[in-house]
Amino acid sequence: MKKILAMVLALTMVLSLAACGGSTTETQSTTEAAPVQTTAAPAEIPEVTLTMWGSEEDQVLLRTMADAFIADNAGEAKITIELGAVSEADAKDQVLNDIEQGPDVFAFAHDQIASLVNAGALMAIPEEMGKSDIIARNVDSSVEAATVSGELYAFPMTADNGYFMYYDKSVFTEEDLASWDTMLAAAEKAGRKITMDLGNAWYTYGFFASEGLGLTVTMNEDGSNSCNWACDNGVAVCEAIMNIAKHPAFLNTSDTNFAGLVQDGTICAGINGAWNSAAVSEAWGENYGACKLPTITINGEQVQMGAFSGYKMVGVNAYSDQLVWSMKLANYITNEENQALRFQERKLGPSNIVVGESEEVKADPALTALAAQMPYCTAQNVGGNFWSPVQTLGGILAEGNPDGIDLLELLTDCVEGVEAPIA
Amino acid sequence: MEELMLFDNQGNLISKAGKAVVKGDLGTRLCALMMLAGAVLLIGGASWFGTQSLTWVYFAAGLIGLGTGLCYACRKQYTKGLIFAAAITFAISLAYTASIDYILKLDTLGTVERKMEIDWTTGQQVENDYDHSFKILLYGIIGVAAMILTSLFCFNALGTSYRLILQRRCGKPVNNIMQDLRSLLDEKFHLTLLSLPGLGVLIFTVMPMVVLIFVAFTNYDSKHLPPSKLFTWVGMENLFDLLGSAQNSDFAYAFQKILSWTIIWAFVATFTCYFGGILLAMLLNSKSTIFPKFWRTCFVICMAVPQFVSLMLIARFFGDMGIANTMLSNLGVTGLLQNLGIISKDYIPFLSDPTVAKVMILIINFWVGVPYQMLIATGVLMNIPQDILESAKIDGASGWVRFWKITMPYYWSVTGPSVITSIVGNINNFNVIYLLTSTYTTLDMSLAKVNAKEMDLLITWLFSLTQGDAANYAMASVIGLVSFVICAAFTLVSLFRMQRGGREKAFG
Repeated sequence: MKKILAMVLALTMVLSLAACGGSTTETQSTTEAAPVQTTAAPAEIPEVTLTMWGSEEDQVLLRTMADAFIADNAGEAKITIELGAVSEADAKDQVLNDIEQGPDVFAFAHDQIASLVNAGALMAIPEEMGKSDIIARNVDSSVEAATVSGELYAFPMTADNGYFMYYDKSVFTEEDLASWDTMLAAAEKAGRKITMDLGNAWYTYGFFASEGLGLTVTMNEDGSNSCNWACDNGVAVCEAIMNIAKHPAFLNTSDTNFAGLVQDGTICAGINGAWNSAAVSEAWGENYGACKLPTITINGEQVQMGAFSGYKMVGVNAYSDQLVWSMKLANYITNEENQALRFQERKLGPSNIVVGESEEVKADPALTALAAQMPYCTAQNVGGNFWSPVQTLGGILAEGNPDGIDLLELLTDCVEGVEAPIA
Repeated sequence: MEELMLFDNQGNLISKAGKAVVKGDLGTRLCALMMLAGAVLLIGGASWFGTQSLTWVYFAAGLIGLGTGLCYACRKQYTKGLIFAAAITFAISLAYTASIDYILKLDTLGTVERKMEIDWTTGQQVENDYDHSFKILLYGIIGVAAMILTSLFCFNALGTSYRLILQRRCGKPVNNIMQDLRSLLDEKFHLTLLSLPGLGVLIFTVMPMVVLIFVAFTNYDSKHLPPSKLFTWVGMENLFDLLGSAQNSDFAYAFQKILSWTIIWAFVATFTCYFGGILLAMLLNSKSTIFPKFWRTCFVICMAVPQFVSLMLIARFFGDMGIANTMLSNLGVTGLLQNLGIISKDYIPFLSDPTVAKVMILIINFWVGVPYQMLIATGVLMNIPQDILESAKIDGASGWVRFWKITMPYYWSVTGPSVITSIVGNINNFNVIYLLTSTYTTLDMSLAKVNAKEMDLLITWLFSLTQGDAANYAMASVIGLVSFVICAAFTLVSLFRMQRGGREKAFG
C-alpha cells in the first residue's frame, strides 16, 4: 500500500512539474515580448503589414492607392496592406472598441477627432513625417480642424463634409438667395418649403456662428467646452430661429427625410451637405443650384450665417507597431495626386489647395457652394457635451418655445449643459 | 451507516470539509494541511517572493494538487487521485500565472499610463509596460473566480475523503474509476447533463454580470478610457448620484422619470397584449366566427415578419412626414384638429410629442405583440375541460361569469409564470422603444444633459450612455445594476407568491 502511495506521490509531483514547465517558458516569453514592440532593423528589406480602414464605397479606390504605395516603396520594404470597410462615420466607435487591435491607418469624419485624441487613439504627426508640408498643401481650415491643442493629429483628406443651401433655380432669383426672409417669401409664393434639421446641433450651430455676433463655443484642454451664448446676442439668435421656424414655408425635419422631400417636390430649398448632391441633381436636373447659406435678421440687421466646416481625415493609430510606415501611407493617400484621383473617381471635394482650384472641381455646384461658405465657417472643435443640449435647444426653438421659457434662461441652462465638466 | 447518512445530509461543501478535518484520519488531515500550506503560499507569495520568478506558484499549486489527489489516493482511488492532482495543479498554475499580475493591481486598477518613444528616422519604437484598467478588472475577476472554483474542488475532495472512510467503515464498497465514470451516466446523470449549460451560464451570464457590477463602482467614462487612460474605484459615488435627490443631479432626475415610465410601460404593455391575446383567441375559437383558420393565418403571418422590420416601417409610417400624417392631412383630419386647437402644428406628432408617443408606443406594441399571445392562448384555451364550461352554462352562468370564474383561473394557472417573464422582458424591451423613438429629440434640457429622453426605458437609456461621445460606462453599469435588482426582486417575489398561492392545485 505504502509503495503504491509513494509511486503515486512521485508521479503526481513529476506530472505537476511537467505541467508547470511548459507554462513557465510560455508566460515568461510572452511577458517579455508583449510590452516592447520593435520594428525590424532597416539593414535588410523589412516586411511590413499594415491595416487600413476606409468606407465601403472607397474600397476599390483605396486598393489602387495602396498598390501604388507598395510599388513606390518596393525598394525599402516589403509592404502588405490589408483593407477594412468601416465608414468614416463609424470609425471612432469601431477603433475605440479595441484600440490595441485596431487598424494602423483609418479614415474618419473630423468631428470624431476630439474623442479620438481624448482616448489616445491618434498619433500626432511630427515634423519628421512632413507636418509643415501637410499644413502648407491643405486649406487652413482643414488643418485647423485636424489640430487639437496645437498638435496636428490627422491628414486632411476631403473638405466637403460641411453644409450649404440647395435650391431649385425655378423658384428663386439670385437676389432671393441673399436672406432667409426673401427665400421664405419666394418659397411661400411657390407653395413649397425650405427645410433644415433644427433637431441637429450640427446645423443649429450655423445660426449662432453668424458673422460678427461674437458667439463662440470651443473645446478646452480637458474635453469640456467654453461657450458664451448666454447673452443678448444669443437671445437675438434664438428669436431669429423662432421667426424662421414659425414661417409657414419653413419645414423642420430630420436630415434623413431630405432626399425624399426633394424628390417629391415638397421642398424647393434646404440646408444639407454634399452627400446628397447626386440625389438633388437627379431630382431637379437643370434647376439644381447650390449656394452659401443666407443671412438672418438680428436686431433688424442682416447677418451672414456661419457653419461648421466639415472634413474627412486620415489618422494613424497611436498603438500601431509600424508608426513610420503608417504615417507614410496616410500621407500618401491624402497627397495632391490622390486627392485629385479621389475627386475624379468619387466626386469627393478635396482639402488640397491645388486640387481645389482645378477647373473640374470648380464646375461642381455643391463644392462651389461649400467654397463660398468657407470664409464664414469655423472648424468643428467642440467637446462631446455640446451636442445633446444644443440639439434640445434647437428642438425647443423649432417648436416656438412651447413652454414660454425666458430665452436667456433657456440659453443659460443650455450653456450649463454644454460647459458641464467632464467627470 | 447512520453516520454516513448524517454526513450526506449535512450542509455545504465547506462544512463537510471541516468535519472531515476534525473527524477524519491522519491522511485527510495531512491533505488539508498541504492544501492550507499551498493556499497560504499563494496568498502571501507575491509579497514574499515577488512576481519576477513564479516558481513558488508552481510549488504551491503542486502542493494543493497533491493534497487533493491524496484525498482520493489514500482511499485507493488512484486513477481519480492522479487525475484530480494533475487537473488542480494545472488549473491553479495556469489561472494564477495568467492573472496574478492583474489580481495584484485590482486595488488600484493600475497606476502606469502608456508611454511610447519613437525615433522617426529609424522607425525604432519603444513602449512601456503600461496598465490597462479594464483588462486588470476583467482578468483579475476571472482569476479570482477561478481560484474560488478550484478551492471548491479542494473542499469537495476533503469531504469525499472522509465520506470514503465512513463508507468503508460500514462495509460499503468503494467505487473504482470505471464505476465512477459509469455512475455519471446513471445515478449522477444530472451532473453530466447540467455541466455544459452550467458552464455556459457561468461564462456568458454570471461573469459579464459580475464585471458589470464592479464597473458600476468605478469612473470608467469618456475621460478615463483605457488603454490610454486609467480608471479607478470611486466607491458608491455613482449609485448615490443616480439614487440621490433630483434637485442636485440630472442623473437622479432622469432616473426617476425613466424608472416610472419603465414600470408603467412594463405592466401596461404586458397586460394589454395578454388580455388582447386571450380575447382574440376566444373570438377565433368561437363557433360563430367564419373562416377562423384564415384569420388565424393572417395573425400568424404578422408574427412571422421579424419584429424589428415591422417596427422600423411603423416608425416611418407615423413620422412627422410619414404616410399616416399625409393621409390624415389629405382627409382633413389634421386641419380639423388644428381648428379645434388640439394640435398646434400641421401634422400630428405621433412619435414626436412625449405623451402622444407613449400612447402610440403602447398601441403599436399591442399590435405587434398580440398575435404571439393569441397563439399561446389558442392552445391553452382548447385544453379547458369543456364539460365544466357546459355544466356552468346549464347552471345558468353568464358568459362573463364563465370567463372570470372558469376560463381565466385556468388560463392564469397555466400562463402565470410566463406573464412574469414577459413583464421582465418588457422592462428590458429595447427594440420597440429604440426603433420607434431613435429620431426623437427631447425638449427637456435636464434629460438632454444625461443623454436621456422621455420615452426611454432604463435599458435604452443605458444604451445611449454607452454610445458616441457620452461613453459613460460606469453610469450605464449602475443603471444596469439597478435594473437587474428590480427585475430579480420582482421575479422572486411574484414567483414565490404564485407558488405559495398554490394556484396550480386549484385547477386539478
